Amino acid sequence: MRAKLEACLSTANQVFLGKEKQVRLAVACLLARGHLLLEDLPGMGKTTLSHTLAKVMGLDFQRIQFTSDLLPGDILGTSIFDKDVGRFVFHSGPIFAELILADEINRATPKTQSALLEAMEEGQVTIEGATRALPEPFFVIATQNPASQSGTFVLPESQLDRFLMRLSLGYPARAAEKALLLGESRRDLLPCLEPVFDHAGLAAIQEEVAAVNVSDALADYLLRLVEATRTHPQFAWGISPRGSLALIAATRSWAYMAGRDYAIPEDVQVVLPAVAGHRLRERADYSGSGDSSLVQWLLREVPVL
Amino acid sequence: MAQLLMLLAAINYQNSLAYAVTFLLLSLSIVTILHTWRNLVGLELQAANVAPVFVGGQAMLGLRLESTKYAHRAIALGWSGSEMQLQEVAACSISNAELQLPALARGWLQPGRLRVESRFPLGIFMAWSWVDLEISALVYPRPLSGELPCLSGKDHEDETDGSRAEQAGVDDYRGLRPWQPGDAIRRLDWKAYSRGRGLLVKDFVALTGTELVLDFGKLSGDIEARLSLLCHWVLELDSVGQIFTLVLPGQTIGPNAGQLHREVCLRALALFGSGKKEGQA
Amino acid sequence: MKAAEVIPRNSLFWLLIVQFLVILPHLQYLPPWIIVLWLGCTWWRLRIFRMCAAYPNGWVKALLMLSTGLAIYVSHGTLIGLDAGAVLLMTAFILKTLEMRNRRDALIVIFLGFFAVVTGYLFDSGVLAAVYSLLPITALLAGMIGLYQNDSAGYRAPLRLAGSLLLQALPLMLVLFVFFPRLAPLWGMPQPAEQAVSGLAESMSPGEMVELSQSSELAFRVTFDGQLPAHENLYWRAITFERFDGQRWARSSNSYLAQEPKWEPQGEPLSYNIIIQPNGRSWLFSLDVPKIQADDARMMADFHLERRRPVDRALMYRTVSWPDSRREPSATSASLAASLQLPRQGNPRTRIWAEELRRSEPDPERLVQVLLRHFNQQPYVYTLKPLPVGENIVDDFLFQTRSGFCIHYAGAMTFILRAAGIPARVVGGYQGGELNPAGNYLSIHQFDAHAWVEYWLPERGWISIDPTFQVAPERIRTGLQQAMVQEQSFLEGDPLALHRYSGINWLNELRMAWDNVNYGWQRWVLNYQGDEQKQILQKWLGSFELRWDWLGIGLVLVLAVLSGSLALLLFKPWRSTPDLVQRLFLRYEKLLAGQGIVRQKHEGARAFAERAAQVLPDQAQAIRQFTGIYECTRYSGEPASPREMQQAFKALRDALFSRNHAKDRIH
Repeated sequence: MRAKLEACLSTANQVFLGKEKQVRLAVACLLARGHLLLEDLPGMGKTTLSHTLAKVMGLDFQRIQFTSDLLPGDILGTSIFDKDVGRFVFHSGPIFAELILADEINRATPKTQSALLEAMEEGQVTIEGATRALPEPFFVIATQNPASQSGTFVLPESQLDRFLMRLSLGYPARAAEKALLLGESRRDLLPCLEPVFDHAGLAAIQEEVAAVNVSDALADYLLRLVEATRTHPQFAWGISPRGSLALIAATRSWAYMAGRDYAIPEDVQVVLPAVAGHRLRERADYSGSGDSSLVQWLLREVPVL
Repeated sequence: MAQLLMLLAAINYQNSLAYAVTFLLLSLSIVTILHTWRNLVGLELQAANVAPVFVGGQAMLGLRLESTKYAHRAIALGWSGSEMQLQEVAACSISNAELQLPALARGWLQPGRLRVESRFPLGIFMAWSWVDLEISALVYPRPLSGELPCLSGKDHEDETDGSRAEQAGVDDYRGLRPWQPGDAIRRLDWKAYSRGRGLLVKDFVALTGTELVLDFGKLSGDIEARLSLLCHWVLELDSVGQIFTLVLPGQTIGPNAGQLHREVCLRALALFGSGKKEGQA
Repeated sequence: MKAAEVIPRNSLFWLLIVQFLVILPHLQYLPPWIIVLWLGCTWWRLRIFRMCAAYPNGWVKALLMLSTGLAIYVSHGTLIGLDAGAVLLMTAFILKTLEMRNRRDALIVIFLGFFAVVTGYLFDSGVLAAVYSLLPITALLAGMIGLYQNDSAGYRAPLRLAGSLLLQALPLMLVLFVFFPRLAPLWGMPQPAEQAVSGLAESMSPGEMVELSQSSELAFRVTFDGQLPAHENLYWRAITFERFDGQRWARSSNSYLAQEPKWEPQGEPLSYNIIIQPNGRSWLFSLDVPKIQADDARMMADFHLERRRPVDRALMYRTVSWPDSRREPSATSASLAASLQLPRQGNPRTRIWAEELRRSEPDPERLVQVLLRHFNQQPYVYTLKPLPVGENIVDDFLFQTRSGFCIHYAGAMTFILRAAGIPARVVGGYQGGELNPAGNYLSIHQFDAHAWVEYWLPERGWISIDPTFQVAPERIRTGLQQAMVQEQSFLEGDPLALHRYSGINWLNELRMAWDNVNYGWQRWVLNYQGDEQKQILQKWLGSFELRWDWLGIGLVLVLAVLSGSLALLLFKPWRSTPDLVQRLFLRYEKLLAGQGIVRQKHEGARAFAERAAQVLPDQAQAIRQFTGIYECTRYSGEPASPREMQQAFKALRDALFSRNHAKDRIH
């Protein structure tokens, strides 16, 4: 299983050059059954990454481009009157797919955003009184432009909390970008990718991830981190219990990907910026953008052992 | 005292059992010293976040008590002169306490060292400690409602002081005016159009301008009263989602709106004149 | 009222229980209205707690106090004195419980409760009472703890803590009890009122003596240092009766005379310890002829021991007796006059017979022998149910009924001897005793009460003689119970007395064992006072001189050691060190710190190991191996064996050592 995972990672890395860590974290996020938020400037390859992941994981893929006039019905689906049949027929929306790329989620209105986020949380949608289950597995990779850009509706903290990780890709390294420039178009590569996993394989891996041992000592470290965010005055608010659960799930996943069946503090340290970054805000930070310095402070100041 | 009386009874009645009870109580006191001491040993305190408060309110100071080893029973927490609050901490666990402290003056409320004491189990001895947690709470001025003599639109110098700017807004219907390119289609008066009166646009105004200035310098009265009034209006304007600017001597905040803007303004009001424009975090 | 000062529910619960427990043993002497007051107040207090009633206001409180005070005065006739004081304390305790609102009030109630417990000891300090008093004390502590504990802790938590506190305080208490110097009473205190204690009285009629022998109450206990004397030699002298008014024998004037008569110790002495039960009398019991080792007791002119104060609590004293001594061989006729006193009239037949006897047997000794033979040979009956006699009790007894108890025989014999001109008197006391084989001591009960005769001869002094022996020798040799087998009158009026059933083996053994426990309690606990303490401590110290200042220092030292060990037990400092894995890791950190590689607090074991491995490439493998085992143990849930870890640590240490060594060589 791990060999397959490695194959999956290397395939993704062929497409997505020079961002091994981000790719790894993204995979870890999916293995932990979490949703992923990609935050970066346009053109950094967010969509490519989502495509790649969907391909190698063998998941049914749908992309929803969020715009300011997108309505909840456009995502969930609507009932349309069918003259031939003489009654309303439900036309399911793009959300009934296994991997959803919610592109530029912060361009949609809060109403639409929350329609998606509720679906993410509950794994089912209720349309016109009927509850419809979403497929299993169900992943959402949302991308958003930095908040400072115009025409955006900032995702509220309560919604951000539902994403297991927030990743930011950043500019590629010089060598990677050169390879990008000289090589094939990334989009052209995508159709050639072969899925590495089937659904059963993915489910099996997720089972194994959930079984990764988290010892008392590690849980204590995790709690020390969480408590620090709750008590130290520089944090506007602390990490919620959902956040702690997310942290432990991501830690397990990372430990599994490192080939261990137990988690160690270093795993926590690796995933912490991605898991906690969007859940924290500095008290003095009025822009609300969040800051990696808080996470760095946590990593630096909280004793490990 | 009671033990002395008992000892006297024991001696005078030459009663061995009375002696025994006296000694038992004496031994219990010795044992209790240890227990009382243990009740405080290994307790770690940490100040949690303190929410800002208005003058006259009660600052809620969050405390986190962590037991590293033993259970801690009936730990009394408080500042000198104030009422002590009892708190229990189970062994190797954390409990949160909230201490109230009346906010009497604007600015940073620094209650000083916290007294932590324990009389448990028998109350005959007390172990105590003074802890400096460097707790500080920000106290905003007390909001006092009152008429603002001026809510000046900042960019409209032609308007005289005291007048109310009528700015295009959404609050009140004023009337109809001819359509101009750029007007929202939604506001077209279709009924009038159908009656052949041409394209008319419903015109709304907001009572006050889109951008208001709360200017400390334009108020009279003593400083605290002025700050209280400004505080009231900051809250008032914020509650209706108005964009406004706060002007304090040497400091201009905004124009902006929203919760953060309100917090910045209130903070500035709280710390006005304290020499610290932005206090420690 | 401050929120923190309110009495928590579990404290109130325990305080109400305390009330019940404290009052229960006092019930036997408390006036019945106290119970009504108590139940009423408890009910009221519970209603207050349920918010159904208000606290009593000032008027009600004043009224309650006044009326209870009045009630005490009415039922006791006084407000001072121990009994009234105890009732006063009880009512104060009950009323204070009713009106307690805050913690201070509750503390007062608790201290009143402790006083009530101590007061209880003044009335009853037996083993059972002491054991029982642990209940109210524990409950009091629980109430006290409850005052400082949240309601959420429940009712049991304070009790559990109270129990453990008591257990922890016990060793300290024992040390204090043993070594704390006992002082003499600082001032006189009101004593418990005379209880109806049976026992010998200052004057006795034959009927009263018979009544006394129906009681199975304990009089005193004796432990002999050496061999136990034979039963028939155990004549425990209490007082002498010299004055006879025709009906009653009364205590002689000699027995009030604090002047030791002349006597010289002769023969083998007997040493023994006696513990008297409280009887409200000031005389002490002893075998003839005693020397007592006590400051507050001395021998009186009639050879009995008298204490300065009445025995109002169990008292232990030590005595040596010389049974073969001659007693007052050269008494003056003035001092003997009282021993010849007879009422002017009455018992004419006896007087005539005595005159005849004196004429036929001029030698007093032979006369006594004749008399004894008379008792032996004539059909006299030793009985607890003597036939009724008329005005002339001696005449009727000697010539008509011929049935009587010891006092009848002793009284008649004394009367005859006096009428014959020989100085004689009745000695009151006890005879015999029941041996407790487990404790090797004698218990003397009220039914062992006895009367015998002593007469005086020139040159020979006072000689004891027992006419009862002639009638019922088994009474003297084995005891009253054997003597009354035929009549079946032993303890007839007391069917519950365990002594009646001494034939049932297991019951008898049980009774003996319980008696033994009581004796030990009295001897080692209750009488651990003043001299007794000094003696026992001296025995322990051996040849060292007992000095209170050294003892004080020793006491403080022992207390310090005990509290120190208790502190160790409570704080368990050895537990604060982390487990072996953590200890080894700390050592590992120190080892690497010695190489200049210090772990940052945010560095995990692996990150640290990688950094160290870069600095120490030669030892990298050992470092990684140790870290791997550590990580595995701490995080994997499948810990490596401590030995494995120790080995890895040693390997690393050796590797580092060889590196240092190599470095040294290069230098």
